[in-house]
Amino acid sequence: MIAAIVITAFDLRAALRLRPRLQALPAALAPLPGSEPLIGSVTGAAEAKGVRPGMRLGEALALCPGLELVEQDPAAAEQAWEEILRRLEDAGFAVEPAAPGTVFFDSKGVERLYGGLEPALKRALAAAGTTWDPRAGAAERRFAALAAANVARPGQALIVSDDRARSFLAPLPLQLLPLERSRYEELEELGVRTIGQLAGLPGGAVSERLGPDGRRAWGLARGEQDGGVAPRRQAMSLHETLEFPEAVGNELTLRRGLGVLVDRLLARPERAGRPPRKIALWARLVGGASWRRTVTLRESTADPARLRAALSAKLGELPAPALKLRLEISELAEHTGEQLELVAAEGEVLQGRLREGLRQVRAAVGAGGVSTVVEVAPWSRIPEARALLVPRDD
Amino acid sequence: MVTHTRSTRTARTARRLNAPRCALVESHADGTPRRVDRQEVALLREEWRVVDRWWTEDPVHRRYFDLVLETGQNVVVYHDDDAGSWLTQRA
Repeated sequence: MIAAIVITAFDLRAALRLRPRLQALPAALAPLPGSEPLIGSVTGAAEAKGVRPGMRLGEALALCPGLELVEQDPAAAEQAWEEILRRLEDAGFAVEPAAPGTVFFDSKGVERLYGGLEPALKRALAAAGTTWDPRAGAAERRFAALAAANVARPGQALIVSDDRARSFLAPLPLQLLPLERSRYEELEELGVRTIGQLAGLPGGAVSERLGPDGRRAWGLARGEQDGGVAPRRQAMSLHETLEFPEAVGNELTLRRGLGVLVDRLLARPERAGRPPRKIALWARLVGGASWRRTVTLRESTADPARLRAALSAKLGELPAPALKLRLEISELAEHTGEQLELVAAEGEVLQGRLREGLRQVRAAVGAGGVSTVVEVAPWSRIPEARALLVPRDD
Repeated sequence: MVTHTRSTRTARTARRLNAPRCALVESHADGTPRRVDRQEVALLREEWRVVDRWWTEDPVHRRYFDLVLETGQNVVVYHDDDAGSWLTQRA
């Protein structure tokens, strides 16, 4: 069977981890700066006052004037989600994350391990962490498992057998189907409010009116086969962090900091010569918010200059000065070999000697014995604000 | 042996270069240094003020002196007007 674990409003819960008091109050995720003023996930208290995710900010505040707006914290959400996935993997579940807060796994392998489907689901719920109020669902089809997890109570595991799947899905709301918001409204205007009502419509008419997405949703509503589970490959987590003594906003300084992080990360032995394919840049901003950008390289490379060039452009998108900068390798390429150059680049020999010299110094004085001077604000009138000493162990 | 790929590293904090150090300074009535670290001041070469970050909670009000001591040594000291202390630093 296919099982799904769902944590509702995961992004909001992650953003509220440091402010748990707000979880009991009407709160919603604030819109991203520069984006359409639509609120994100909402707490139960806000929902009780009529506030819905995706609502216009003005409308939400009119409905609930005391609504607390919570700044989005994508880095915290991603980190928390990764921790949950790893706990599940450590418990033996080969997971396929669909989105933050939704994960699938095939129960076939773990049923024997835990003595049945229900104990396995209970174990998965425990591994996800009870503080997140996870819900579990299991069925022969992905969509039915997801729907079961969505309607289960927090901490509950709901199992839907194949012969009951259609009758189980029939009374559920259309919003469980992967459709655009406007499509739900269109269907509701036509009097179609439940999955069962959609499943009862002729397939051709649905395709004509709603297009391929609608046809797919119709298929899901009828319990058609919707694919198995493709477990993710266990993620490699290599990261290096640089903390600044004070918030840094100028791009030149950030680029220099980034250069140091690239060098450190490439020097990590865990990489075993494999070049990075996917890299994430993360920053903790002044005021507590976070910022994150992921870069997938067209061609995996371990060339620091190319990595710096690929990542530097992202620094310009930082919305506020950063207190901390982190560079993560999310994915490494499999190959280790690279075409060698016929003629070594100018300065290569000197660079090699310098590296060897530094290695010997490090061996003599220990880690942290070698630092790089990074100019951060050479124009500053305050002498100690002009440059930083950044330890390097590469 | 398989390397554990989930290792993490603690963040290593960057340190300030040229951070000020405490200095023992005796001054004249007009605030100019007379002795620095028990050495007489032979010459006051230059004096300037740095007023910065007044818009933050950590403003900077410093009076810098570029001095030559009787031993021939060059030093730069400053008086931190907020803390009322003397410090030395390469300017």
